[in-house]
Amino acid sequence: MDVRTELQHSWIITVKEFRQLSRKKALMVPLFLFPIIMIIFFGYGMGGTVKDAPILIVNDDTGTASNSLIQHIGSYTGKYGGEPMFSITYTKDMSQSKAESKIDAGWYKAVLLIPPDYSEKLAKNESVTLILLTDSSDTTTTGIIVNYMKQLFSERGSVSLNVPNIYGDLEYLDFLTPAVIALTIFMGSVATTGSAIAGEKQDGTIVRILMTPVSRRAVILGKTIYQLILQLIRAAILIMAAYFLVGFHMNGSWLLVALVLVIFTLGGVGMGIVMSTRVNDMESFFQLNMLVTLPSMFITGVFFPLSSVPDWMRYIAYLLPLTYANDAMRTIMIKGQGLSAISTDLIILSLFALITFTAGVHLFRREA
Amino acid sequence: METIIEVKDLVKVFHSRGRKITAVNDVSFDVFKGEIFGMIGPNGAGKSTIFSMLTTLIKPTNGSIKVAGFDADKEDDKIRPIIGIVPQKLSLYPDLTARENLELMGKLYSVPKKLMEERIDHYLQLVGLGSHADRFAGGFSGGMKQRLSVICAVLHDPQIIFWDEPSTGLDPQTRQAIWKLARKFNGEGKTLVFTTHYMEEADNLCDRVAVMNLGKMVALDTPENLKERSGSTNLEEVFIHLTGEEVRD
Ligand SMILES: Nc1ncnc2c1ncn2[C@@H]1O[C@H](COP(=O)(O)OP(=O)(O)OP(=O)(O)O)[C@@H](O)[C@H]1O
Ligand SMILES: [Mg+2]
Repeated sequence: MDVRTELQHSWIITVKEFRQLSRKKALMVPLFLFPIIMIIFFGYGMGGTVKDAPILIVNDDTGTASNSLIQHIGSYTGKYGGEPMFSITYTKDMSQSKAESKIDAGWYKAVLLIPPDYSEKLAKNESVTLILLTDSSDTTTTGIIVNYMKQLFSERGSVSLNVPNIYGDLEYLDFLTPAVIALTIFMGSVATTGSAIAGEKQDGTIVRILMTPVSRRAVILGKTIYQLILQLIRAAILIMAAYFLVGFHMNGSWLLVALVLVIFTLGGVGMGIVMSTRVNDMESFFQLNMLVTLPSMFITGVFFPLSSVPDWMRYIAYLLPLTYANDAMRTIMIKGQGLSAISTDLIILSLFALITFTAGVHLFRREA
Repeated sequence: METIIEVKDLVKVFHSRGRKITAVNDVSFDVFKGEIFGMIGPNGAGKSTIFSMLTTLIKPTNGSIKVAGFDADKEDDKIRPIIGIVPQKLSLYPDLTARENLELMGKLYSVPKKLMEERIDHYLQLVGLGSHADRFAGGFSGGMKQRLSVICAVLHDPQIIFWDEPSTGLDPQTRQAIWKLARKFNGEGKTLVFTTHYMEEADNLCDRVAVMNLGKMVALDTPENLKERSGSTNLEEVFIHLTGEEVRD
């Protein structure tokens, strides 16, 4: 059979899959809505607004440029208007360690340290760094404060903010979004591939297809093309939702994100095929699916950093491919790093895809 | 008579959960071009398994199959385009309409678009589904599904039609219609191979009948000869005589 015909056959299968998807309105909810709801829920649940948060401003500035900054902070009322967000206390000549002890004592949610040369440097258009100390035991409030301050300073060109020790901890939404995308693509590709084949086994349609001149290879390719398109669309919708609804910011390369997702989707499709060959109907597939994919959701650090879990849990996480997808996605999307930073992740994900896909094709060939 | 299917020493052994099941046990027979060939036998006799091997879906454990001169093992890509298959499980996509199911099959058999649409309309009318073309197959009655399933198998104008249990679970009217359809296809020169549990169906339709039991072919002859040989007037008795009275699982 020549390549052209094979590809034509594959495309017929791809189109068929999309047509079937368009008929399953109920599937749209888990496919598209759940992940968006998850992001909004966590985005606002962890975000939301704050009022009258006590903060201390240690203003050592010898000039006057800091006045407008302080005024701005003092009068800020948050996204939804109403009462001022902060209740501010001013002081000067306080060391960083002294300021930290004030936070420890619970007097303030945050301390902003303005250096003596603030006005001077600003006037010369040199870069100047302010330090923001936060109470990391209250991630919700401090998260909002940090976000607000970051935004405030991003409007002031050369001013940058140093927020010690809060990385990955406080900006929960930024931490969450890349992993939710990876999770969504993983669960989605495994479940839709596997359940579709299980369903086709159940009603016998796969046998009819396999009795036509279409090769098994073409059937698998058609289903894979469908999954790649579907999952990339889902990822794009999710990223847009995160951007427009909860203000997620993408720092890295779209191309790398797409690369990671394509490889990961292939792995998911392979895994779905393997799982579908172990069952004869949809219901048993979904039981198996729960068993196989659910642990990934809780163990791989989608919702919390792996550094915060006990060792035994971390070791299990290292065995699960989602862990590496999460890491790759975060490295690209939050840290904005390049290919070399995710090369280990990519190698492991490619291996995962290769193994599941080979096994899937092999088992699928022996089917029926 | 010209032979169109040649089966020699066919064996199929399944390994399922550590158990060995010999579904087809050393079966040899020929099917002639243009005949209606019936396979009859109780549940589990191995009829569908033989079908799966004849249609190149699964490989025999042993033995050889030739369909229209092509070897089923090595030349399955030559066989597939010239055969049409109506599986026992009706195998229709419930979430596609009747027409979409048909178009899918037409495309997979590479029937040119215009010809395909013509045939789809023609066959839908022929089996009385013209007004249901755009309904989902999932909502069809058993009889409608069987009729749709048949025409799914003939869009590419196959030389041989394999039809696994054409009339199981259908009402008498639908059965009559199905038989009429079978004779019509046969009249167009197509060879028909089908399986059944019903003696009257075999008696009515077949030029020759193969009686299967526990993976073996216990008889193969015209319905008349079979009746004569066992000295009875109906095939039902022949069947019980040949395969025994006990119920299979
Ligand atoms: N894929 C398989 N794996 C294991 N055993 C199988 C498989 N397919 C069929 N069998 C077994 O082979 C035997 C023959 O089955 P087959 O479906 O060919 O019978 P049949 O004559 O078509 O029966 P029926 O009239 O019920 O359709 C049965 O015992 C069945 O359980
Ligand atoms: Mg059968």
